[in-house]
This record gives sequence, C-alpha cells and structure tokens, in this order.
Amino acid sequence: MRQPVTSKPDVPSLVAGIAVLVLGLVLLLDATDAVALSFAVLAPVACAAAGAILLARGLTRGR
Amino acid sequence: MDDRNEHIHDENEPERGEDPAAEDPTTEPERGEDPAAEDPTTEPEPTEAAEPESDLGGDEPADEAATVEQQAEAQEPTAEQPEAARPEDPRGPQSPAGDEAPTEPIAAGAGAGAGGGAAGGGPAAAPPPRRLLRARQGRVLGGVCAGLGRYFNTDPVFFRIGAIVLTLIGGAGVLLYLAALLLIPKEDSVAQTAVDGDSVDGRSRALVIAGVAVLLVIAWPFLLGGGLIIWGLVIPLAVLVAAGVLVWWLVSGEGPSGDAGDIARRAALGLGLLVLCGIVAVGGAWAAAAGGEAIVAALVIAAGGAIVAGAFLKPVRWLILPALALAFSAGAVSAAGIDLDGGVGDRYYNPGSTVDLRDRYELGIGELVVDLTDTDLPAGDTPLELDLGVGSARLIVPDDVCVATSADVGMGYAGVFDADNEGIDVDFDEQRTAPPDRSRLVVDAEIGVGELLIGHATSDFGEFEADFHDGRDRLDNSIDRGMNTGCDSR
Repeated sequence: MRQPVTSKPDVPSLVAGIAVLVLGLVLLLDATDAVALSFAVLAPVACAAAGAILLARGLTRGR
Repeated sequence: MDDRNEHIHDENEPERGEDPAAEDPTTEPERGEDPAAEDPTTEPEPTEAAEPESDLGGDEPADEAATVEQQAEAQEPTAEQPEAARPEDPRGPQSPAGDEAPTEPIAAGAGAGAGGGAAGGGPAAAPPPRRLLRARQGRVLGGVCAGLGRYFNTDPVFFRIGAIVLTLIGGAGVLLYLAALLLIPKEDSVAQTAVDGDSVDGRSRALVIAGVAVLLVIAWPFLLGGGLIIWGLVIPLAVLVAAGVLVWWLVSGEGPSGDAGDIARRAALGLGLLVLCGIVAVGGAWAAAAGGEAIVAALVIAAGGAIVAGAFLKPVRWLILPALALAFSAGAVSAAGIDLDGGVGDRYYNPGSTVDLRDRYELGIGELVVDLTDTDLPAGDTPLELDLGVGSARLIVPDDVCVATSADVGMGYAGVFDADNEGIDVDFDEQRTAPPDRSRLVVDAEIGVGELLIGHATSDFGEFEADFHDGRDRLDNSIDRGMNTGCDSR
C-alpha cells in the first residue's frame, strides 16, 4: 500500500494569493460600479493585504 | 692568552654548533671584544650569542638594556593572547606564529610577534600577531567595521556610525569604506592562505594598488566637488542598492549576507524585480485610466489564482510583488477617478457667447483653463462640468456671476474663491444662491490628482493668457480668489 504524499502548501504564497484575489475582486466591483472605490476604502484594503502577506511570511520563516 | 682563547673556543664549539646564530661569523669578533668573554667563568651563554642585539657592539650595559627591551617586547603580545586566540580568528592554531606576519604590510605588531616567537624559544609559545582583517562574523556589508571593531576591541557600531556620518557630510565615508574594502584582506582569504601556504603575490598587490589609485582618481572630484554630487548620485545609488537588497530579501528570504558579489547579485535581482513592478504598475494605471479597469481587475484575479495554485504545486513568489503593483496602481487610479478620455496636453477655452459654452470640459492629463470673462451668461442657473484626470483646472468667471460648486478631488487641492480644501478624497461642496436677476454658474468638478481653482481674473490675467498660448512658463497670479461677489450674502 503506497502512502499518499501530503505536502503542506506554501503559506506565504497562499496568503498572498488570497490577498491579491481580494484586491482583484474589489477592482472588479468598482469597474462594474457596484462599489465606489475611494482612497478611504483602498488604503485599508491595501494595508491589510500587505500586512497579511508580511505576517504570513514572518510567522513561517525558518520552518 | 692565545692558548686560553683557543681553549675557550674549543669548549664552546659543540654548544654553538647547536645554535645556528652562534655560527654567524659576524658575531664572533664582537663577542671577542666583550671583556666578559675573556673570563672563562663568565663565559656568555650560547643563547646570548644568538640574540641579534649582540650586534650592538659588545657594550655590556647596552646589551642588558637591549635584552630587557626585547623581553618587554616579547611579553607584550603574550598579554594580548586571549584576544588573538579568539575562536573566530582563523589564524588560531593552524597559523604558525610569525610565519606570515612579516610579509603582510598591514599587520600591526607583526614584528613584535615575530620577535616574541624567537625569544620564546618555539612556535608553541608564540602568540599569533594581531592583524586588521575584514571580519566574517558580525559583518553587515564587507566586514570592514566589524574587523575594525575587533582589531581595536571596540563595538563596531561606533565605526558604522562614523562611516554613515562621513558619508552624509560629504561622501568620504563611502570612499574610505571602498578603500578599506580593497586594502584590508578578508579573513577567509588569510585563513586559506595559511592553509595553502601561499602568500599574496605581487600581481594581487599591484591590482589592489591600481584599484586604490583608480578610486582616488575617481574620488577627488567627489571630495572637492563635494556634497552635491554625492547627494545626487551616490546616495540615490545606495538607496537603490538597499531597496534592491530589501526587495530580494522580502521575495526570496536571502538577506544581506555573503561577500560583495552576493550582495550585488541580490541587489540586481531586487532592482530588476522593482523595475518589472514599475513597468507593470505604470501599464496597469494607464490601462485603468483609459477605461480598461475591468481588464486589469481580471488580470489581478488571474494572478491571484496562479499564486494560490502555486502555493500547492510550485510556489511562484516572484509573482506576488508584480501582482500587488498592478492591483495597487489600478486601485489608486480608480480611487482618484482619473480618466484619460479627454486627452493629454494643455487646453484653453474662452467661449465668446453662451452658444459656444459647453456643458462639459474634460482633460486627461495637463492644464485645463476655462475663461468665461467674455461670456455673457443668462440670468438663472447654468450648469458646467469639469473633468480632469491629472493636472490643474482653472475656471475664470465674471465678477457679477455667482458660482455654486460641488467638487470631488481624489488627491490634491480645491480652492474656490475664499474657501479651500486639500488632501485625499477631497469633497468640496459650496452651494451659494444668487438673486433672481443674476447668473449662477453651477459647477460640478471631478479632479483625479491635482488642483481646482475658481475665481475672478486678475490684472495679470492677460499676461497669463499670452504665456499660455505661447507655451511659456506661467505665473500663478491669474486668479483672484477673493469673494464670490455675484452671490447673495451669507
């Protein structure tokens, strides 16, 4: 019986990919006039995305 | 007398045969001149004959002084032995004491180390000479400051602060660091030299001297021309290199360690990635401003999906920064409301009548001037839209016209007569009323990044207009932003 190989995902890449996906969805909503994008909205979203990526990278360093 | 001398000579012969220095014929007559040498009971010990200070001429007090001085020199490195025998010192046990010290011009105290080795009677008792080397451990860039700190037994932070201060006040710190990088040998190379038994050959030394000479030739205009060149060239270059190293560290995890080649490689890779991000950002911003925001959003979503898939298959971390650059730039363009539909350049509109007056004036990037001083506006409300992506929009109105303004500035400044507002997401709204027999201009302005100015014409407006049409630089005194005189009093 061959054991299934379980490989853990690259957590920083996973978090960064999700963050980029969220940013893309926000842009798409703005392009379809579903939301009115302003700097008051964009700045927190951008900071949250960058912070999540850095946090994931920092917490998984050395593993 | 002769027999006795010959007898003495015969007695000493086997002992001096053990000491090579005693066979030196130059020391023989001097010892013969020494009165103590004539007394067989005070026959000098063979070790004294081997000492080089015996060349001083056989004067007894001088010999004693020299011997005391030599002993003091021999003792000095012994006191420093714990520092010289640090674990990170590659010269430690594998480097024979005094073997290389005389061949190294930068070595400090090498002569003392060699002398101490000879006086100590064997290599095992000789401490390694203290040498100025570029340290491997604790270094930040090339190990110069860490090596200086180790050599002077001081915290290297002091040397780093000094280098930074010298760099900021004229740039000498950079040049001195580069010179030290060329002149001070690296710890690894010295250790390898000790293992291999090679020494620094003349070609390497000539290359170092040539490098320093070239550095000086390049450096003197910097030192004389001073700070402006340093601030304008070296500092930005250093910032670029630091940014490249930082970016590559964030992407790959490879920090600013290794030799200069490694750091340069990482800085180049990081800068290359930054350039790629810049190109992607500019392209994405342009596409979003030109109406392709939906396409850019789709690209960002696709990149995010690829990064997520790569997390499970094969990580593509290099794609993260370009994807973020694309998303942030397009998001900034959308948030600012930048629209390039109106084109790029400077526009000047001066409608002579209401027939020529448009409902909407727009411009993508540039300076937009709408001059209504020659326009006879009818009584009542006249709507007017201003749409500018990036730049400056000026609206000049007659003195008897009331202006009601609603302006949205993504990032910049809005000045309407005596009221203004500035910053990010500026929302300016001033709905003034006019008497029934007066004209009221109802302005709806959308400015992405830039400024909106509404006011009356000044006496210098004619000069401004002429300069505008001639394409010359224009003075910013064309608008009198006093009172909104055509409106009812508040």
